[in-house]
Amino acid sequence: MLATLPILLASADVHEAVEHAASGGLVEQFGLSLNYIVMQVISFAILAFVLYRWGIKPVLATMDERQHKIESGLKYAEEMKAKLEQANQQSEEILRKSAVEAQAIVNDARKTAKELADRQTQDTAAQTAAMLAKAQQAIELERGKMLAEVRGEIARLVTLTAGKVLTKELSPEEKSRYTQTATRELTGV
Amino acid sequence: MSATKQIRATAKQLLALSLEDGQLSETKVRAVLAWFEQKPPAHAAATLREYHRLVLHEVSRSRARIEFAGTLASGAVASIITELSRIYHRPISATTIENPALIAGVRVSIGDDVFERSVAGQLEKLATTTA
Repeated sequence: MLATLPILLASADVHEAVEHAASGGLVEQFGLSLNYIVMQVISFAILAFVLYRWGIKPVLATMDERQHKIESGLKYAEEMKAKLEQANQQSEEILRKSAVEAQAIVNDARKTAKELADRQTQDTAAQTAAMLAKAQQAIELERGKMLAEVRGEIARLVTLTAGKVLTKELSPEEKSRYTQTATRELTGV
Repeated sequence: MSATKQIRATAKQLLALSLEDGQLSETKVRAVLAWFEQKPPAHAAATLREYHRLVLHEVSRSRARIEFAGTLASGAVASIITELSRIYHRPISATTIENPALIAGVRVSIGDDVFERSVAGQLEKLATTTA
Protein backbone atom coordinates (compact mmCIF):
# COMPACT_ATOMS: atom_id res chain seq x y z
CA MET A 1 0.00 0.00 0.00
CA LEU A 2 2.79 2.34 0.88
CA ALA A 3 4.62 1.33 -2.30
CA THR A 4 1.81 2.52 -4.59
CA LEU A 5 1.45 5.90 -2.87
CA PRO A 6 4.17 7.84 -4.97
CA ILE A 7 2.65 6.60 -8.19
CA LEU A 8 -0.76 7.87 -7.16
CA LEU A 9 0.69 11.22 -6.18
CA ALA A 10 2.49 11.61 -9.55
CA SER A 11 -0.60 10.78 -11.54
CA ALA A 12 -2.45 13.37 -9.56
CA ASP A 13 0.16 16.01 -10.56
CA VAL A 14 -0.03 15.10 -14.22
CA HIS A 15 -3.73 15.25 -14.20
CA GLU A 16 -3.59 18.68 -12.64
CA ALA A 17 -1.07 19.93 -15.27
CA VAL A 18 -3.22 18.67 -18.15
CA GLU A 19 -6.16 20.41 -16.83
CA HIS A 20 -4.18 23.60 -16.40
CA ALA A 21 -2.95 23.45 -20.01
CA ALA A 22 -6.34 22.87 -21.33
CA SER A 23 -7.66 25.77 -19.45
CA GLY A 24 -5.46 28.23 -21.65
CA GLY A 25 -2.02 29.51 -23.17
CA LEU A 26 -0.12 26.42 -24.07
CA VAL A 27 2.25 28.46 -26.31
CA GLU A 28 2.85 30.86 -23.57
CA GLN A 29 3.37 28.09 -21.11
CA PHE A 30 6.18 26.58 -23.30
CA GLY A 31 7.73 30.03 -24.05
CA LEU A 32 7.41 29.58 -27.85
CA SER A 33 8.00 32.62 -30.07
CA LEU A 34 7.88 32.99 -33.84
CA ASN A 35 11.03 35.05 -33.93
CA TYR A 36 12.89 32.47 -32.05
CA ILE A 37 11.66 29.80 -34.36
CA VAL A 38 12.71 31.77 -37.49
CA MET A 39 16.13 32.45 -36.00
CA GLN A 40 16.43 28.80 -35.12
CA VAL A 41 15.54 27.84 -38.72
CA ILE A 42 18.10 30.31 -40.17
CA SER A 43 20.78 29.12 -37.76
CA PHE A 44 20.01 25.55 -38.64
CA ALA A 45 20.19 26.40 -42.38
CA ILE A 46 23.52 28.13 -41.94
CA LEU A 47 24.83 25.25 -39.88
CA ALA A 48 23.50 22.78 -42.41
CA PHE A 49 25.10 24.73 -45.26
CA VAL A 50 28.43 24.95 -43.46
CA LEU A 51 28.35 21.29 -42.55
CA TYR A 52 27.40 20.30 -46.06
CA ARG A 53 29.88 22.64 -47.73
CA TRP A 54 32.94 21.90 -45.65
CA GLY A 55 32.07 18.70 -43.89
CA ILE A 56 29.75 16.38 -45.74
CA LYS A 57 30.70 17.31 -49.30
CA PRO A 58 34.46 16.69 -48.92
CA VAL A 59 33.71 13.49 -47.10
CA LEU A 60 31.38 12.39 -49.88
CA ALA A 61 33.97 13.43 -52.45
CA THR A 62 36.62 11.47 -50.63
CA MET A 63 34.28 8.51 -50.34
CA ASP A 64 33.45 8.76 -54.06
CA GLU A 65 37.12 9.00 -54.90
CA ARG A 66 37.90 6.00 -52.76
CA GLN A 67 35.02 4.11 -54.24
CA HIS A 68 36.27 5.02 -57.67
CA LYS A 69 39.78 3.92 -56.73
CA ILE A 70 38.47 0.67 -55.36
CA GLU A 71 36.45 0.10 -58.50
CA SER A 72 39.47 0.97 -60.63
CA GLY A 73 41.60 -1.38 -58.58
CA LEU A 74 39.06 -4.15 -58.94
CA LYS A 75 38.77 -3.46 -62.65
CA TYR A 76 42.56 -3.39 -62.98
CA ALA A 77 42.76 -6.64 -61.04
CA GLU A 78 40.18 -8.17 -63.35
CA GLU A 79 42.09 -6.94 -66.38
CA MET A 80 45.31 -8.23 -64.92
CA LYS A 81 43.70 -11.54 -64.23
CA ALA A 82 42.42 -11.65 -67.82
CA LYS A 83 45.83 -10.63 -69.13
CA LEU A 84 47.50 -13.20 -66.92
CA GLU A 85 45.12 -15.81 -68.24
CA GLN A 86 45.84 -14.67 -71.78
CA ALA A 87 49.58 -14.64 -71.07
CA ASN A 88 49.31 -18.15 -69.68
CA GLN A 89 47.46 -19.24 -72.76
CA GLN A 90 50.01 -17.54 -74.98
CA SER A 91 52.90 -19.08 -73.09
CA GLU A 92 51.24 -22.47 -73.32
CA GLU A 93 50.74 -21.93 -77.03
CA ILE A 94 54.35 -20.82 -77.42
CA LEU A 95 55.51 -23.83 -75.43
CA ARG A 96 53.36 -26.11 -77.55
CA LYS A 97 54.71 -24.55 -80.76
CA SER A 98 58.24 -24.71 -79.40
CA ALA A 99 57.76 -28.36 -78.55
CA VAL A 100 56.47 -29.03 -82.07
CA GLU A 101 59.35 -27.09 -83.62
CA ALA A 102 61.84 -28.81 -81.33
CA GLN A 103 60.43 -32.18 -82.34
CA ALA A 104 60.66 -31.17 -86.00
CA ILE A 105 64.27 -30.03 -85.51
CA VAL A 106 65.11 -33.28 -83.74
CA ASN A 107 63.49 -35.25 -86.56
CA ASP A 108 65.41 -33.23 -89.16
CA ALA A 109 68.62 -33.70 -87.23
CA ARG A 110 68.02 -37.45 -87.03
CA LYS A 111 67.22 -37.57 -90.72
CA THR A 112 70.30 -35.52 -91.61
CA ALA A 113 72.48 -37.63 -89.34
CA LYS A 114 71.13 -40.80 -90.93
CA GLU A 115 71.72 -39.43 -94.42
CA LEU A 116 75.21 -38.33 -93.45
CA ALA A 117 75.95 -41.71 -91.95
CA ASP A 118 74.60 -43.45 -95.06
CA ARG A 119 76.64 -41.18 -97.31
CA GLN A 120 79.74 -41.75 -95.23
CA THR A 121 79.12 -45.46 -95.37
CA GLN A 122 78.74 -45.30 -99.13
CA ASP A 123 81.84 -43.11 -99.46
CA THR A 124 83.80 -45.44 -97.26
CA ALA A 125 82.60 -48.42 -99.29
CA ALA A 126 83.53 -46.65 -102.53
CA GLN A 127 86.93 -45.66 -101.17
CA THR A 128 87.50 -49.18 -99.94
CA ALA A 129 86.51 -50.57 -103.33
CA ALA A 130 88.79 -48.07 -105.09
CA MET A 131 91.65 -48.93 -102.76
CA LEU A 132 91.04 -52.62 -103.33
CA ALA A 133 90.94 -52.09 -107.09
CA LYS A 134 94.12 -50.01 -106.95
CA ALA A 135 95.80 -52.60 -104.77
CA GLN A 136 94.65 -55.33 -107.14
CA GLN A 137 95.97 -53.32 -110.06
CA ALA A 138 99.28 -52.75 -108.29
CA ILE A 139 99.49 -56.45 -107.49
CA GLU A 140 98.76 -57.30 -111.12
CA LEU A 141 101.37 -54.81 -112.31
CA GLU A 142 103.89 -56.15 -109.84
CA ARG A 143 103.01 -59.70 -110.83
CA GLY A 144 103.40 -58.84 -114.52
CA LYS A 145 106.67 -57.09 -113.84
CA MET A 146 107.92 -60.05 -111.82
CA LEU A 147 106.81 -62.48 -114.52
CA ALA A 148 108.57 -60.39 -117.16
CA GLU A 149 111.70 -60.31 -115.06
CA VAL A 150 111.51 -64.07 -114.48
CA ARG A 151 110.82 -64.65 -118.17
CA GLY A 152 113.75 -62.43 -119.14
CA GLU A 153 116.02 -64.14 -116.64
CA ILE A 154 114.95 -67.57 -117.86
CA ALA A 155 115.48 -66.50 -121.47
CA ARG A 156 118.89 -65.12 -120.60
CA LEU A 157 119.82 -68.33 -118.80
CA VAL A 158 118.49 -70.46 -121.64
CA THR A 159 120.36 -68.53 -124.30
CA LEU A 160 123.48 -68.49 -122.13
CA THR A 161 123.25 -72.24 -121.65
CA ALA A 162 122.48 -72.75 -125.33
CA GLY A 163 125.48 -70.61 -126.24
CA LYS A 164 127.74 -72.63 -123.96
CA VAL A 165 126.37 -75.92 -125.27
CA LEU A 166 126.72 -74.76 -128.86
CA THR A 167 130.25 -73.53 -128.21
CA LYS A 168 131.17 -76.93 -126.85
CA GLU A 169 129.20 -79.10 -129.19
CA LEU A 170 129.77 -77.36 -132.53
CA SER A 171 132.85 -78.68 -134.28
CA PRO A 172 135.20 -76.30 -136.06
CA GLU A 173 133.92 -77.59 -139.40
CA GLU A 174 130.35 -76.86 -138.46
CA LYS A 175 131.30 -73.38 -137.28
CA SER A 176 133.13 -72.73 -140.54
CA ARG A 177 130.22 -74.03 -142.55
CA TYR A 178 127.84 -71.77 -140.63
CA THR A 179 130.18 -68.81 -141.15
CA GLN A 180 130.34 -69.43 -144.87
CA THR A 181 126.58 -69.65 -145.05
CA ALA A 182 126.30 -66.40 -143.12
CA THR A 183 128.78 -64.74 -145.47
CA ARG A 184 126.77 -65.86 -148.45
CA GLU A 185 123.63 -64.44 -146.88
CA LEU A 186 125.38 -61.14 -146.28
CA THR A 187 126.76 -60.85 -149.79
CA GLY A 188 123.54 -62.11 -151.33
CA VAL A 189 125.38 -64.79 -153.30
CA MET B 1 125.60 -17.77 -133.05
CA SER B 2 126.64 -19.53 -129.88
CA ALA B 3 130.19 -20.82 -129.40
CA THR B 4 129.12 -24.45 -129.70
CA LYS B 5 127.33 -23.85 -132.99
CA GLN B 6 130.32 -21.89 -134.32
CA ILE B 7 132.69 -24.73 -133.34
CA ARG B 8 130.52 -27.33 -135.06
CA ALA B 9 130.16 -25.20 -138.20
CA THR B 10 133.93 -24.63 -138.41
CA ALA B 11 134.66 -28.34 -137.86
CA LYS B 12 132.17 -29.28 -140.60
CA GLN B 13 133.80 -26.82 -142.99
CA LEU B 14 137.22 -28.27 -142.20
CA LEU B 15 135.89 -31.79 -142.78
CA ALA B 16 134.44 -30.71 -146.14
CA LEU B 17 137.86 -29.35 -147.07
CA SER B 18 139.38 -32.71 -146.08
CA LEU B 19 137.36 -34.69 -148.63
CA GLU B 20 138.44 -35.49 -152.15
CA ASP B 21 135.81 -37.03 -154.42
CA GLY B 22 133.71 -37.66 -151.37
CA GLN B 23 136.50 -39.60 -149.69
CA LEU B 24 138.69 -38.56 -146.81
CA SER B 25 142.08 -37.59 -148.19
CA GLU B 26 145.15 -37.89 -146.02
CA THR B 27 146.86 -35.09 -147.97
CA LYS B 28 143.99 -32.73 -147.47
CA VAL B 29 143.74 -33.61 -143.78
CA ARG B 30 147.42 -32.75 -143.38
CA ALA B 31 146.86 -29.47 -145.23
CA VAL B 32 143.97 -28.62 -142.95
CA LEU B 33 146.05 -29.38 -139.87
CA ALA B 34 148.90 -27.23 -141.22
CA TRP B 35 146.50 -24.35 -141.76
CA PHE B 36 145.16 -24.97 -138.28
CA GLU B 37 148.67 -24.58 -136.84
CA GLN B 38 149.33 -21.40 -138.77
CA LYS B 39 146.03 -19.67 -138.17
CA PRO B 40 144.26 -21.23 -135.26
CA PRO B 41 140.58 -20.13 -135.17
CA ALA B 42 138.66 -19.05 -132.13
CA HIS B 43 138.08 -21.92 -129.70
CA ALA B 44 140.93 -23.80 -131.36
CA ALA B 45 141.06 -26.73 -128.95
CA ALA B 46 137.32 -27.38 -129.04
CA THR B 47 137.22 -27.00 -132.81
CA LEU B 48 140.08 -29.46 -133.17
CA ARG B 49 138.33 -32.00 -130.95
CA GLU B 50 135.14 -31.68 -132.99
CA TYR B 51 137.12 -32.00 -136.25
CA HIS B 52 138.80 -35.12 -134.85
CA ARG B 53 135.44 -36.63 -133.96
CA LEU B 54 134.07 -35.92 -137.45
CA VAL B 55 137.20 -37.40 -139.09
CA LEU B 56 136.90 -40.57 -136.98
CA HIS B 57 133.24 -40.84 -137.91
CA GLU B 58 134.08 -40.37 -141.57
CA VAL B 59 136.79 -43.02 -141.32
CA SER B 60 134.40 -45.45 -139.64
CA ARG B 61 131.89 -44.86 -142.44
CA SER B 62 134.46 -46.12 -144.94
CA ARG B 63 136.02 -48.84 -142.82
CA ALA B 64 134.21 -52.09 -142.06
CA ARG B 65 134.97 -54.28 -139.07
CA ILE B 66 134.40 -57.95 -139.88
CA GLU B 67 134.19 -60.25 -136.85
CA PHE B 68 133.93 -63.99 -137.38
CA ALA B 69 134.02 -67.32 -135.58
CA GLY B 70 135.42 -70.40 -137.19
CA THR B 71 137.17 -69.80 -140.50
CA LEU B 72 136.36 -67.41 -143.29
CA ALA B 73 136.32 -68.82 -146.75
CA SER B 74 138.82 -67.42 -149.21
CA GLY B 75 137.32 -64.48 -151.03
CA ALA B 76 134.67 -63.95 -148.36
CA VAL B 77 136.20 -60.67 -147.19
CA ALA B 78 136.43 -59.40 -150.75
CA SER B 79 132.80 -60.33 -151.38
CA ILE B 80 131.71 -58.50 -148.25
CA ILE B 81 133.72 -55.39 -149.21
CA THR B 82 132.25 -55.42 -152.70
CA GLU B 83 128.71 -55.71 -151.34
CA LEU B 84 129.27 -52.91 -148.81
CA SER B 85 130.74 -50.64 -151.49
CA ARG B 86 127.68 -51.31 -153.60
CA ILE B 87 125.36 -50.49 -150.69
CA TYR B 88 127.16 -47.31 -149.53
CA HIS B 89 128.28 -46.15 -152.99
CA ARG B 90 131.84 -45.56 -151.85
CA PRO B 91 135.07 -47.57 -151.52
CA ILE B 92 135.12 -49.53 -148.28
CA SER B 93 138.15 -50.94 -146.53
CA ALA B 94 137.87 -53.70 -143.94
CA THR B 95 139.64 -55.20 -140.96
CA THR B 96 138.98 -58.79 -139.89
CA ILE B 97 138.92 -59.92 -136.26
CA GLU B 98 138.26 -63.44 -134.99
CA ASN B 99 135.72 -63.37 -132.19
CA PRO B 100 134.93 -66.77 -130.59
CA ALA B 101 132.09 -65.19 -128.61
CA LEU B 102 130.06 -65.24 -131.81
CA ILE B 103 130.15 -69.11 -131.61
CA ALA B 104 129.68 -69.25 -135.40
CA GLY B 105 128.92 -66.78 -138.20
CA VAL B 106 129.98 -63.18 -138.96
CA ARG B 107 129.23 -59.67 -137.70
CA VAL B 108 130.03 -56.68 -139.91
CA SER B 109 130.08 -53.20 -138.40
CA ILE B 110 130.41 -50.06 -140.51
CA GLY B 111 129.71 -46.65 -139.05
CA ASP B 112 126.60 -47.01 -136.98
CA ASP B 113 125.31 -50.00 -138.99
CA VAL B 114 125.72 -53.60 -137.86
CA PHE B 115 125.03 -56.67 -140.04
CA GLU B 116 124.63 -59.63 -137.72
CA ARG B 117 124.73 -63.23 -138.98
CA SER B 118 126.06 -65.12 -135.97
CA VAL B 119 124.79 -67.76 -133.54
CA ALA B 120 125.44 -65.40 -130.61
CA GLY B 121 123.41 -62.71 -132.34
CA GLN B 122 120.57 -65.13 -133.00
CA LEU B 123 120.56 -66.23 -129.34
CA GLU B 124 120.60 -62.61 -128.18
CA LYS B 125 117.70 -61.80 -130.50
CA LEU B 126 115.83 -64.84 -129.19
CA ALA B 127 116.42 -63.74 -125.59
CA THR B 128 115.20 -60.22 -126.39
CA THR B 129 112.01 -61.38 -128.09
CA THR B 130 111.28 -63.95 -125.37
CA ALA B 131 111.76 -61.54 -122.46
